[in-house]
Order: sequence, then C-alpha cells, then structure tokens
Amino acid sequence: MKALLLGAAAIMAMASPTLAERGSDGELKIIYWQAPSTMNPYLSGGTKELEAASLVLEPLARYDEGGNMVAWLAEDIPTVGNGGVSADLKTITWKLKEGLLWSDGSKVTADDAVFTWKYCSHPEGGCAQSEKYNDVTNVEALDALTVKVTFGVSKPFPYGPFVGAQAPLLQAAQFADCLGTKAPECTDANFGPIGTGAYKVTEFRPNDVISLAANTHYRDPAKPAFATVTFKGGGDAAAAGRSVLETGEFDYAWNMQLAPEVLAGMQAGGKGETVSAFGTLVERIMINMTNPDPALGDERATAKHPHPFLSDINVRKALSMAIDRDLLVEIGYGDTGKPSCNVLPAPEIYKSTANDGCLVQDVEGAKKLLTEAGWVPGADGIRQKDGVRLSLLFQSSTNAVRQDFQALIKQWWGDIGVETELRNIDASVFFGGDPGSPDTFQKFFADVEMYANNFDGTDPESYMANWECKQAPRPETQWQGNNMPRYCSEDYDALVAEMAKTGDLQERARLAKAMNDKLMQEYIILPLVDRGRVSARSNALGGVVMNAWDSELWNAADWYRVK
Amino acid sequence: MFNYTIRRLLLAVPTLLLISFLIFLLLDLAPSDPTANLPLTIPPEVREKIRISLGLGEAFHIRFLLWCKQFFYNETLNILEQWWGWDFGGDRLRVLSWQTRSPVVDTIVQRIPQTLWVVGMSYVVGILIAVPIGIVSAYKQYSWFDQVGTFVSMVGYSVPTFFTGVLVIVIFSVWLGWFPSIYDTTLVVNDWSSFVQQVKQMIMPVSVLALYNAAQISRFMRASMLDNLNQDYVRTARAKGIRERSVILVHVLRNSLIPVVTVIALGVPQVFGGAIITEQVFKVNGLGQLLIIAIQAGDVPTVQTLTFIFAFLIVFFNLIADVLYGILDPRIRYD
Amino acid sequence: MSETSAAPLVSIEGLKMYFPIHAGLFRRHVGDIKAVDDISLEIFEGETLGLVGESGCGKSTVGRATLRLYDITAGSITIDGTNTSKINQADLRRFRPRMQMIFQDPQGSLNPRMNVADIVGEPLDEHMSLSRDERLARIHELLDAVGLNRSFANRYPHEFSGGQRQRIGIARALALNPKFIVCDEPISALDVSIQAQVVNLLEDLQKKFGLTYLFISHDLSMVHHIADRVAVMYLGKIVELAPRDQLFNSPLHPYTQALLSAVPEPNPARQNTRVHIVLKGDVPSPSDPPAGCNFCTRCPKAIDICHHLEPQTIEIEPGRFAACHLLESATKVA
Repeated sequence: MKALLLGAAAIMAMASPTLAERGSDGELKIIYWQAPSTMNPYLSGGTKELEAASLVLEPLARYDEGGNMVAWLAEDIPTVGNGGVSADLKTITWKLKEGLLWSDGSKVTADDAVFTWKYCSHPEGGCAQSEKYNDVTNVEALDALTVKVTFGVSKPFPYGPFVGAQAPLLQAAQFADCLGTKAPECTDANFGPIGTGAYKVTEFRPNDVISLAANTHYRDPAKPAFATVTFKGGGDAAAAGRSVLETGEFDYAWNMQLAPEVLAGMQAGGKGETVSAFGTLVERIMINMTNPDPALGDERATAKHPHPFLSDINVRKALSMAIDRDLLVEIGYGDTGKPSCNVLPAPEIYKSTANDGCLVQDVEGAKKLLTEAGWVPGADGIRQKDGVRLSLLFQSSTNAVRQDFQALIKQWWGDIGVETELRNIDASVFFGGDPGSPDTFQKFFADVEMYANNFDGTDPESYMANWECKQAPRPETQWQGNNMPRYCSEDYDALVAEMAKTGDLQERARLAKAMNDKLMQEYIILPLVDRGRVSARSNALGGVVMNAWDSELWNAADWYRVK
Repeated sequence: MFNYTIRRLLLAVPTLLLISFLIFLLLDLAPSDPTANLPLTIPPEVREKIRISLGLGEAFHIRFLLWCKQFFYNETLNILEQWWGWDFGGDRLRVLSWQTRSPVVDTIVQRIPQTLWVVGMSYVVGILIAVPIGIVSAYKQYSWFDQVGTFVSMVGYSVPTFFTGVLVIVIFSVWLGWFPSIYDTTLVVNDWSSFVQQVKQMIMPVSVLALYNAAQISRFMRASMLDNLNQDYVRTARAKGIRERSVILVHVLRNSLIPVVTVIALGVPQVFGGAIITEQVFKVNGLGQLLIIAIQAGDVPTVQTLTFIFAFLIVFFNLIADVLYGILDPRIRYD
Repeated sequence: MSETSAAPLVSIEGLKMYFPIHAGLFRRHVGDIKAVDDISLEIFEGETLGLVGESGCGKSTVGRATLRLYDITAGSITIDGTNTSKINQADLRRFRPRMQMIFQDPQGSLNPRMNVADIVGEPLDEHMSLSRDERLARIHELLDAVGLNRSFANRYPHEFSGGQRQRIGIARALALNPKFIVCDEPISALDVSIQAQVVNLLEDLQKKFGLTYLFISHDLSMVHHIADRVAVMYLGKIVELAPRDQLFNSPLHPYTQALLSAVPEPNPARQNTRVHIVLKGDVPSPSDPPAGCNFCTRCPKAIDICHHLEPQTIEIEPGRFAACHLLESATKVA
C-alpha cells in the first residue's frame, strides 16, 4: 500500500515538473481581507478561520470541486456497500491511511480522532462545530488506524464527524489539557495547532498575519512546492483584489465581494484572474406567513395570527413574478452570481428544474393574477381588498448590494401596485440572534426579509429540515429557529421525517427536490440569486482548484509557482 | 507642581474606574453578539453554548467585577512577572478575547510596534512639517506661501484618509509600482535591504497620516504665531536690535509653542489609538484595526480593554499637557 | 531749550508713515491709513521733547517710525549724524544701541518666558561680547540704576507689579547706553501713585546718563512736568511745536488751545474763570482726512480757506512753530 502511495506521488511529480521538490518555489502569499482570529476551527465557526486552519489541519474526508466526497486522511470512504457503514446506519468505521505523521513527527492514530470528538463534544467547551458531531454517542479506536463512530439514531448521512474543513483532526497530545473550559487558555495550541497538512504554523498573529512553512513530515515528499506561506489578513476586498490583480504583490485573494465592474477593471491589469465556484449559497426573500403587527404584542409574528395578505398565495406568487432576477444578478454580482429559482440549487442531483419559470419577469401576469384574486388598485394606486392594503415592510441587513436589490424590488413591486417600505439593519444585530432585540432576522418583525444562506457540505437533509413547523422561531424557543417564514405543513414535515430515515442517495435526492419544489411552488421563499465564491488568483500561481464545498485552500498542497 | 501632579494622579483613579464601568455598561447595552458573524450554518443552540462558554451567562455586575479583577489585578501581576521575572504563582485567568481566545493584552503588545512605527512616525513627521509651515505662514501672512499652506492644510484636513490613502496606493503601487500596497507586519529590520523595505512600506501610510496631522498642527502653529507676532514684547525685541531670526525663533516661537505643545501632547493618545481607517487601507493591522475588528465581532473583552487603555492614555496625557503648560509657561503655577 | 545751538541729535524731515489697506477677494490695495503725514521736527541733545495728542493721532507711530521699527513711507530721519531712514532692517541693528524705546504696556512688552536677567541681558548678548560675570555685573548695575533689587534677576515678569515691570523695561532700554530713548506713553498704564515715581526715575536717568527723550503722552500735565519743548499732533500732523512754558501759557493753535482748556487747573479761582473749549464731532478717519486743514471739521475758529487749503507750518516766533491759516494772516498783518 505504501509503495502504491509513493508510486502515485511519483507519477504526480512527473506529471507536473514544477513540483519536483518540496519547498523549491519560494514563498506563497495569500491575502484574506478578513483576518483569521485563531487556527482552531473548533473555537471559531468563521469561514476565515476554517480556511486558514485547513492549510494545517485535515479531516478524514473532504469534498472536491464537484461536491464529491474524497478520502483524505482515510483510506477510502466508508459506505454501506463496502461495509464501512453498518446496515442500521448507526455506525461508521473509518480506516486511516498508513504512515501518516503529524508535523512534529509523531504518528497519527485513531486515538487522535477519539480525542477530537471528546474535545468538540465537551459540554463546557463551546465548540463551534458541535453540530458536526450531533447524535454521536461514542467514538472508539478499534486499532491504531481504525476509528468507529457510533450514533444514537440511524444516520442516513453519517459523514458529519471528521469530514470537511469544519471537522478536522486535532492532535491528542497537543490538546490533551485543553478540554472544556480550559480550551481558550491553550493559546499556543489554538494559534499553532500541529497538523497533518502541507504546512505548519511558524508564527500566528491574531487578526493580522500567519506565517507558515512547509511541513517536513507531509505524506507526499514532493509537496508542497512552496517553502513558506504568508497568510495576510485585514483591509477590504478591493485592496485584496488590487494586491493580486493589479500590483501582483500577492498570489491569492479570498472572497472578492466587489461590484462586477470593479472586478472587471482590476482584471484588465492582466496580472491575474478571478476564480469562482458555485455552491449552495442563495440570496433569497423570506415571506412572513404570520402577522408582524406590533398591536399584537407578545403574539406578534407568531403562528396564532396569519399574515393579513401574505397568507394569500396569489400575492406571494405575484411578488415573485414581478422580480427580474437577471437584472439583479447583473447589477449585484456579475459573473459571481446566477439567477436561481430554487432554494436548493446544488449539488446537481438535488437541483430541481420544475421552477425555472421564475427566471422570466412577468409584471403583466402578476397584475392580472392580483386583479383576479380580488386585489384591485385603490385611489393611491395601491391594491387592496376588504380594506387590506398591499403595503409591505421589507427588511434586510446593511450591505450595498442588498440595498440596491431592495430599491429595485421596491420599484418592481410598486409597478404591480404593492407598496414597499424599506429598512436595513446592521448585520451584527440582524444576524445577532439576541432575543432582546426586535431587529433580528429570526424575530422577523416585518413582512418580508432578504438574506443569503447555505449549508455545509453537500447533504441538504438538515438544511431542508429548516422549514419544519417546529423550527419556527417563537417566544417559547427564545425566538430561535431557522424557519423564518413560520411555514407549517404536515406534508412537508412528513417529507423531512422520511428523508431522515432514507439511506439511498437517489431517493434522498427525490425527497429533497420535493421539499424544494413545495417551498417554491407555495412561494414561501423567493430565491433570487445563486451566489458563487469568488477569489482572485495571480497568473504566477498554478494548481488552484476553486471549491465551493470545502475550504478554498483544500488543495493548497498542489499549488505551485508558474514559471 | 509635584503636589499638584500627585493630586491629579489620585483623582484619576476614581475617574478611570468610572470610565471603565461606563464603557462596560455601554458595551453591555449595545446590541452586539459575539456569535453574530458566524455562518448561518451554525445552529442557535451551538451559538448559545458558545455564548455561555464566553461567560455571557453571568450577571452584569459579576462580569464587570471579573473583568476588573482580570485586568487590574491579574494582568498587572502578569506584567510584573514578565518584566522582573518574579513568580507570584497561582493560576490567574487573564482577559481573554472572544475572537481569538487568547489574552487581549498579549495581542495589544504585539500590535503596539506597528502602530507606533506608522502612526507615531506620521505624528512626528506631521509635527516636523507643521511647525515650520506654521511659522512661515504666520510670518508671511497672506503671502503666496501662506495661501498655498492654507489650501494644503484645508485639503489635508478635509479630505478623508481613506480617499488619500487609496489615491496614493493607486498612483504609487498600481501605476508606478514603487511601494507595496500591503504592509508587512512580520518584516524584521536587520540589515540595509530590510531597512529599505521597511522605509518603502512606511512611506505611503506615514505620508497620508502626516498630511492629516500636519494640516491640523500647522493651523494651530500659525494661529499661535500670529497671536504672538503682534505682541509688544516682539516689538521690544526688535527695538533691542535682536536679529530677526532670533526674534522669531527665540521670542515668538518659544511663546507660540506653549499652546501647540499641549495640543501635541493631547494628540498622543490618538497615536496609540491608532488610525483605524489608515491602518485598514494599508493593512498595517495596528491597534486601530484591532479595535474595529473587535467591535465588528462583538468581542467585548478586547473592546473594553482597548477603550479603557485609550481612556487611560487620554487622562494621562491631559495631565501631561497640563504639567507641560506649567513647565513651559512661567506665568502658570499649580499649587 | 531753544537756545541749544548745537546740532540736533535727531532730526526728522517730511516723515510719512502710511499703512496700506487691503480689501476684497484678492486683497487689493485700496487705500492708506495716513498715520503720520509729513511731519518734521528736531530733537536736541539732552532735551526732552514732549509729543502730545489725542489717542489715534499718530504720536506712537511717530515714535516707532523714528526708531525705524517700521519701514517708513517717506521722509528722512537722522539720528546722531546717521541717516537711518533708508538703511535696511538687518543693517540697522548696528545702530539700535544708540536708540531705544520704553513701551506703554510694561506687561506686554516683556517676553513672559524670559526672566529679568535674560530680558535685560539679551541686548548685551546681541551687541556686545561680555563674559558671564561682566554680563551679570552689568545687569546688576542696570537693576540698581532703575531701583530694583538685584535678587529680582531670576524672576519672571508676571511676578512684578506694573511699576516694577516698567522699571525692568527701562533697565532693558538703558542696557546698551543709548543716547536717544523714545518713551511711548511709559506711564499711562500705571497707577497714578506710581506714575510720578517712574517719571522722576526717567528724569534722574536723563541727568545721570545725558539722555535725550522723545516723550510721547496724552497726559498734558505729565508732559508739562518733564518736557523741555512740546509738539502737539492732530491727525497725523504736527499742529504746533513750542518751548514748554510758551506753549502752556499762550497756545497759538486752536487745537492746542482746546486741548489745554481741558487740563484740570489746580487753582479753583482760575479754573472757574477759564473758558472751556469743547470740540464737537469726531476725529476724521486717517484713511480719509478732510481737504484743507485736518482740523477744519472741528475747529471752532475755522474760516473759509481752512476747508480747501492746507496750512503751512510757519515759525511764528523763534522756536515756535504752528500750522494755522489764522496765524498766517496774523503774521502777515504784523
């Protein structure tokens, strides 16, 4: 097996002459305009920290650019078919690759995986990724290289623990004294975790810069091509883009959230290009199915009071029809977005084609629909029925693109006789989840709201379960929950329950599509734009494979200098 | 003077305690959540656990007293240990950032050099430019030099640094390629070439900030010079037959510097406060950037500690300014 | 002192001092304030020439212009045989020791950040090269001369009373052994009780060092006390110049008459019988003086000619000069 691995490495090395020798390509310079605060992904759920840590820490398996799971530290992906997953879907057994070493030279063993689970599942640790280890009742080392994960319930998709950038392996020896409340006190370990990745930390300056060097114990002797990595943080997207695309000071810049024309102007410099990949991030409008009228007091925005007009599907449908999604993409995202008619836009097997009609704006159709439903324009041009006026409060977080979208949508809705009042709330408050604040996206004290969301990895099960009845934020749950529209359908809940016990991939795809279509066709959620990840790569940097399903730096070991 | 200084220092203690309490109260009342910036894929119950692990479950007064103990007692002991190698023993919990989970004071200490280098240098350069400009502008009031100086000051004062910063980056980094647009905080100056590199990366941020500082100080200098130029003792000095240079530099300048020096002293805390925008534009990642990131992330311990240190510096430099005034101006005596 | 036949120490001829007025967006030169408009006078060695007039009449400007603290507009100034009117400021420094000035405001004219020794010693450093001991000795000598305690040398101006400060100012002026001192209202900022002391000090010093004073004041009784000759100014011009007693006893110019009639008379009998001349109206602006005689707008005796022809200064009697059309006709008739 070892020989085979080495052979594979040799072939890789030959295929790419620039990868001839470890550390021969000098320095790799990466800029993240949001600076990482820690290198321990279990203590911070932020994308920036996950990605920085992914240079050092690795999971047993991760996702490639196509959203396919690939074995990383594991020999292969356990499935029911190969016996790795038990028939009752309650256990999964991983086999580690042989000969893996931590960057300090010690051996990687199954005990490290056991420890990692203990670390993240400690009740006082505040582990940000504990969701990944949900329902795990035990993790045990069957032998030095075999890890068995046992779940308390049957898990049709058992690839939560140790999979993806969110759940990499920690070295047990380094973090042994850092469990629970001790976790934040292990600053050295949190800033310089010992990993199996291509690089190891030499200096970590929180929220500033990370210096890394090639890991001399990396499993592929020819990699990585770079001797050192400087991982700079801070500034803004424009400055980061400029440093790669215009001045060429940096090789790779993350997350180019810039206006399309700005990005195009920078690329004209010819020093680099943008790379993008589409995942599941969808900018969407959520419809409030309950009445947010302040006069209702404590029962405001709860299921007790249906919305006076948004509970009419014709109104919701007309709102969707009035929107020109192509124009939104052109104005807000350019190449980094595409119009979406699904709240579940990817991976391919989950993508429904049943709702593509939304791609075409139909103002006349929307007007006709409203008129037929009895909503007729009043003296002020605003449609009304039985004294109820179609007047909306539309909230979103403060963000230039979102405010552009709000203004455009307000105008389109005005065209069909719907009055819109706009409101924007600082992101830290809007997404803050503070039960005391009336302005959170969970409380949803408005008629419609817009934001973007996605899910980790490729499995949509828990994502689609967001719209179960019981997920609705309400006073009893301290206003927590992901079902912002307070959508409640027995049929939908049944689909969720069915998916939770279905193991077959094709069947799971059918269920997920059905749930998506139900939400779309009832116009509970109005998807707008499928937003891609965009980063910038210098022409002098080769080997970049943009990945929307895992860390963007997932294959940094393969990156090399183009000469 | 000594008694006065001691009395002021003693008075500063309750002032600072009150300030720290007010900062804590304001931060607590402000709607911010340390988990707000996490991806939406992290479920609310996990967020709640994170909040509890950060100590947010405790009551307000407990958290405040805990911070006071950690900052005033534990950190002080820690500094003593580090400076003199003493060992007080015991397991003391330091003020930990919610973002990095590491001691805030360590991060601050790490950030001070770049802030002092860039922001401090810009302050020094600003003063060095501003004083001569102020002198000449006042001495040749309404001359073309004065008019140009007034115009430049107005521009320097009113054009925001995020504009001038980006402008110089576009000109000198993108078009001309002379200077790096991104500051390398890890650069160690140990030979000539690394020194040249350090100078190169400092030129743009320092100039942008120095322009801003110089604009302010040169106006003060000019006004103060004008005040003094018309004083009778200046005429006396001329009547004595003193050289014009000495009249300006000895008589007028020395008197004009009294208010300017105090203004300069009062401005020093801003140097430590960092230049949030300029640091952000040039990626200097000093104390200003630390503060703004901490605010954005709802990192209360970092914000609290930093703002308290700024408050302390402001109180301290106010005292310095007053004492300097007393030293420079023989007419003022504090008793 | 008209009998002093020696050459004058200071002689001023046709002195004009105009201050330009700038206005408008581009600060164009739109006119002048004619603070001093063509005056001539001579001051003889050892005498005190009093210069009186209302505030704003230009008397202080005459003092400063005489010492070339301004670059004068026109005219010539000769001091101790040197024509100083055209010398540039830098070269003028060499002549500064000969001519000094005592200022009106003893507080403002002393640099607040210098102690007495530095204030008095600075001219010594600038114009002489003395050793430290010599310098200190000279400072002590000067402090003695003005009646100040030697121990005051290390104190700062704000620690002194007004009278003491003026003594410091005098000591400073004396430091370089000047011949000529312009005393610009040296006592007007002082308490009445102190005024006499300072004036007496000035008189003593004059005797001791043979000084020549141009004593500028609006206080006629003080001028009466100290001056040998007196010049009266009105709106930038000298209207009358005469030996003290003649001027005070028989003023010729209507303005001088009006001015003197305002001086309180110690003798109540005479005070009651005296005719009090009250001038009406305001002093015209020096930037826009009236045509003809400057005083014609307020002169109780103005005649037709006064409004369009400027009177010439004429010597009415030996040593008595005045500029008035009434006197011209009087002399002609005589």
